[in-house]
Amino acid sequence: MSLTYLSPSWFFGYEVVLELLFAVIALTVALFALKIYRISYQNQIKLFGISFSFISISYFIQSVFNYLIISKANENISRIFKIQSIARFDAMGLYAHIFFMTLGLVILAFMTFKSDKTRIFWLMLITILFGIFLSVNILYTFSLFSSIYLVFLSWHFINNYLQNRQKKTLLIALAFLFLLFGSFHFLIPVNHQLFYVIGQILELFAYLLILLNFYLVRKK
Amino acid sequence: MNKKRDRLEIIHDILYSIREKAGVVKQTHILYKSNLSHQMLVEYVGELIDKSFIVEKEDKKGKNHYELTDKGHNYLSDYKTIRNFVDSYGLN
Repeated sequence: MSLTYLSPSWFFGYEVVLELLFAVIALTVALFALKIYRISYQNQIKLFGISFSFISISYFIQSVFNYLIISKANENISRIFKIQSIARFDAMGLYAHIFFMTLGLVILAFMTFKSDKTRIFWLMLITILFGIFLSVNILYTFSLFSSIYLVFLSWHFINNYLQNRQKKTLLIALAFLFLLFGSFHFLIPVNHQLFYVIGQILELFAYLLILLNFYLVRKK
Repeated sequence: MNKKRDRLEIIHDILYSIREKAGVVKQTHILYKSNLSHQMLVEYVGELIDKSFIVEKEDKKGKNHYELTDKGHNYLSDYKTIRNFVDSYGLN
């Protein structure tokens, strides 16, 4: 099982490129946050940098596995490593993507609590990972949990904008709203192929807004 | 009414008050300039020493003073960028 089965065939190549782009943007922001952390030593900034690093890894994995599926290189890899079926190999990619994306979202949500109680973080992480990986439909449960987390995160960033009305805070609030709208269609009975493409385009807008914010933050 | 200062801003104010005096000051000067209670100042100064933003030194008369380190200077020069980043994601 992979996310490519949701994607229309004409979109295969584009999504590999888009996911790679998301990975690069998330990694750029993560490295910048970790650089800022080394100057300021503020814990929230470190958590932010780590969460975006994991989100970047998750997109990178998704992009690589989708490329392998499209290029049919997954068949050869499955044969070389004696993986019983190609579907199992593809599922490994999907599970790795889900694991790292979940890790990133949980750290990002934990960051918003401004708490130093790591027990809360472990409780959140263990609960959500067990919830996802022990469920019958892993992809659906992941979409459910990630949508809930994105609602929470969007609320945090909207609240941040309301308290600090600047162009930069507005860009981030909009970016997370786009990420939310791009993910929740998995939960409703619609034409998933069409909405998958719309979701990817909304994600593209979200990461372009994050990139624009990154430019504004660095501008002297 | 002025908005309550966050940690980043307080650290900036303390380091800035040291830089204003050519990078070397006594604690009373920081206390006066940073507008903090003595207890809060002791906590912040301890944290800044731990993070190597400032160093505590003793002069010939045996009195303590604080000096800004390279890390402290870097914090001040990059403060605007740090502030922008923290504000845009609500990390303060």
